[in-house]
Amino acid sequence: MAAVAAWLPFARAAAIGWVPIAANPMPAPPLQERQKGEDEKLGINVSGRRFETWRNTLEKYPDTLLGSPERDFFYDDETKEYFFDRDPDIFRHILNFYRTGKLHYPKSECISAYDEELAFFGIMPDIIGDCCYEDYKDRKRENAERLMDDQVSEAGDTVQPMTLREKMWRAFEDPHTSTLALVFYYVTGFFIAVSVMANVVETVPCGPKPGKTENLPCGERYALAFFCLDTACVMIFTAEYLLRLFAAPNRCLFMRSVMSIIDVVAILPYYIGLGITDNDDVSGAFVTLRVFRVFRIFKFSRHSQGLRILGYTLKSCASELGFLLFSLTMAIIIFATVMFYAEKNVASTKFTSIPAAFWYTIVTMTTLGYGDMVPDTWAGKIVGGICSLSGVLVIALPVPVIVSNFSRIYHQNQRADKRKAQKQARLARIRIAKNASGAHFINKKKKEQDREDKIKQGIDIEEEPKDSRFESQHHHLLRCLENTTGPDLHARYIKDREFVEMEYTYNGLAAPKAQSSPPTPSPSQSSQGNPVESSCCSRRRGKYQFARSVSDTGQELNDIQIAVPNKTSSKTHLNASEPPKINSTNTTVTTSAIITTPTPGTTSDTEESMMTVSTTTSPGNSNIVRISTL
Amino acid sequence: MQVMRYKPEGIDELVRNTKFTKKELQIMYRGFKQECPTGLVNEDAFKEIYAQFFPQGDSSAYAHYVFNVFDADHNGTISFEEFVIGLSVLSRGSLNEKLMWAFKLYDINGDGYITKEEMLDIVKAIYDMMGKYADPPISENAPGDHVERVFQKMDKNRDGVVTIDEFMETCKNDENITKSMSVFDTIL
Repeated sequence: MAAVAAWLPFARAAAIGWVPIAANPMPAPPLQERQKGEDEKLGINVSGRRFETWRNTLEKYPDTLLGSPERDFFYDDETKEYFFDRDPDIFRHILNFYRTGKLHYPKSECISAYDEELAFFGIMPDIIGDCCYEDYKDRKRENAERLMDDQVSEAGDTVQPMTLREKMWRAFEDPHTSTLALVFYYVTGFFIAVSVMANVVETVPCGPKPGKTENLPCGERYALAFFCLDTACVMIFTAEYLLRLFAAPNRCLFMRSVMSIIDVVAILPYYIGLGITDNDDVSGAFVTLRVFRVFRIFKFSRHSQGLRILGYTLKSCASELGFLLFSLTMAIIIFATVMFYAEKNVASTKFTSIPAAFWYTIVTMTTLGYGDMVPDTWAGKIVGGICSLSGVLVIALPVPVIVSNFSRIYHQNQRADKRKAQKQARLARIRIAKNASGAHFINKKKKEQDREDKIKQGIDIEEEPKDSRFESQHHHLLRCLENTTGPDLHARYIKDREFVEMEYTYNGLAAPKAQSSPPTPSPSQSSQGNPVESSCCSRRRGKYQFARSVSDTGQELNDIQIAVPNKTSSKTHLNASEPPKINSTNTTVTTSAIITTPTPGTTSDTEESMMTVSTTTSPGNSNIVRISTL
Repeated sequence: MQVMRYKPEGIDELVRNTKFTKKELQIMYRGFKQECPTGLVNEDAFKEIYAQFFPQGDSSAYAHYVFNVFDADHNGTISFEEFVIGLSVLSRGSLNEKLMWAFKLYDINGDGYITKEEMLDIVKAIYDMMGKYADPPISENAPGDHVERVFQKMDKNRDGVVTIDEFMETCKNDENITKSMSVFDTIL
C-alpha cells in the first residue's frame, strides 16, 4: 500500500471530479503537520559497508525493522548512522527491496542464511518477487527435506492419534512408517516373487512320473504342490486386496485405480478356475485364464519406483509412441505391398499374400532378420535392402524424441504443479491484502465514530496514536467518495452510502457481513429512531440473513442479486472478529432505511473471477507429486 | 516490447508552467520515476494505481476518464509534464481552472457539451468505485436518478446539454461546490 503513496496526491486531485455531482459538502481534509526535515538521507552501516538512502524509502514499509522506530535501537550517536552487525551482501538485497518494492533472492546465497536475515529485518518471505520465488521455494523445500530426513530417523510414533483405518492406509502407502508395514511389504513382495516363479517353473519339463514314460512338466507332476502354493499366494493377495480396500480413504477411487485392477486381474483366474468343472469346452478357456496369472508381476510396481516411472513415461509419451506406431505401419504396408508384387511370380514363394509379407517387412525393418522368408528376385532383394535401411531410420528417429519428451514432460509437470500451488498462494495473498485494506478502513471509521460518541458523551478519551499522513489522507479520500454517492440532502431520508465489510464465506463468495444482532443504536441515533426505521432495519436484517443462508448455494448475494459463479475454493474463512457493525451515519443526516426493490443485475467483475479459484486435484496429479520425491 | 525512455523538460521550465516550487517538483519527480522507470504512465498502470486506492469497487472506468483528461495530447500515455500540469491545476489552480478541469472530465468526447449520456457514464463510473458492498446497497437506478437531479440543476435552458457556461455558473452559485473544491488544495 505504501508503494503507491507517491500517487496519493494524484488520486486526491482527481477526486475533484466528484465535487460537481456531490450533493453534500465534502468532509474537511485531515490536518497536515509538516514533518520536520523534508526528506533526509539516512546512513546505514552494515559491518563496515556504508549504505545511504532516503528516510522515505525506508518508511515505505512501516512494519519492518528499518521502517519502524525499531531501527532507533541501532542508532549510533557518535557516527550519526545506523549500525547493523549483519551480512552486508545480503543486506544489499534487503535495501533494494525498499527501493524497488521487489525482493529478490540471490542464487549464490545459502537459503537459511537468507531466511535469517529476512527474519532479522522483519520481512516476510512471501514478498519475494515472482522472478525469484520459484527458485526460493525450491531451495527451501530441498533444505526442509534434508532436515526432515535427518529427523525421520529419530522420530518415534506420530503425535496425532489416527484411526485404525488411517494407520493402515499409511502403512500400505509408505512401508517405512512402522516395522509391521515393512514386514507386510516384504512378505507380499516375497509371495509375488514366489508366485511368479511357480508359474514359470510349472512349465519346465521335470522328468517322467514314476511308472510312466512321457516327460511331464513339473506343473503336472507335482500338481498338488503347485496347487497348494498357488492357493497360499492367492490367499495372501486376496487378504492384501481386501485390507487395502478397507483402509482406502476413498473406496470407489481405489477400486478404479490401476494397481487395484491389476490386483483383481491377478487373483481372479484362480477363483474362476475353482468354479470351473472339468469340462473340456471350458478347460481351454481355463488355460487361457492362467495366462493372466502373469499379471502378478505387475504387482511389483508398488515395490519399485522405477516401474512406476516407466509406466508414467509411457502414459505421457503416448502421442509420440502413437506416431512411431503409425509411421511404422505406413512403412510396413508400403514395403509389404511392393515385396509381394515383386515376389509374386516366383514359384513356391513364401510371400503368398500382402499380410504374409507383413511379417517379412517387420522382421527386416527391426533388423531382426530371422531368415524364414527371403526374397529371390533381384527386384525383391533391392526392395529388401531399402526396407532394412529405412527400418533403421524410422525406428531410430522417434526414440530420442520420446526420450527428450519424457524429460521435458517430467520437468514440466513438476513446474506446473509448483506454479499452481504458488498461484493459489499468490491469489490468497492478494485477497487478504485487499480485504485487509477494506477492513482497515472500516476499523478506522468505527474507531473515529467511537471517539466522536465518547466526546459527545463527555467521556475522556486517550490520545489516538498518530496515523501516517498517507493513511489519514487515504481515509479522507474514501470518505469523500462515500459522500459523493450519497444522494441529495433534500431527498427523502435515506442513509448515506457506506462501505460495508466483506465477509468471505467458505465457498469463496464474498457476502456482506450480516448483522446477526440488532445494531446497538449509537447515542446520536437513538433519539431519532422511529417505528418506521426499526421495521425497515429488521426487514433489511431479514434480507441479509436470507441472503446469508442462500449464499451457500452461491446464487444470491444481497439485495442486489448478482449472479456469481459457484466455485469452490480452499480459502480460509477470514475471521470476522469485529463486533456487529454499527450503522454509523454522516454527521447530519438521519434515516430510516428505504429498501428499493431488488433488481437483478449481473456483473462480470474481473475481481470476482480473481477471487474465486477452483482447484481440482485428480488422483493422477497426486501420483505425479509422489514420483517427484524420488 | 519497446522500452521507451522519456525525459521531461528542464525543471526550470516546469516551475514556470506550474505553480509548484522546485523542491516540490523534485520530490514529485522522484516518486514518479520510482513508480514508472520509463517516465511514462500508460492506462493500465493508471488503472492499477486506482485499484489500489479503491480496493472494494471497480475503479477502472473512472480511471479511464481521468486518464483521458490528464493525457492532454491524447497519445495514450501520461508524461511527467502532463502529470504535473494536471496536478498543478487541481491543487493550486483557481476555482475557474478547477471547474474547467471538471468540465473536461465530464465532457468525454470533448465537444464542449455535456450530454446526459456522458454524465451518466461518469456517474456510473463513480458509483462503480464504491463497489457492490455498500450500505445501503446501490440500486440500479441510483446513477440515473443522480444524473437527473444534477441535470435539473445545471441545464438552465433545458436543451438537454450542459455547456461550459451553464456548468460554471451552476457550480459557482452553489456554495457547497465552491467550498468542496478548496478541500483538495495544496496536497503536497
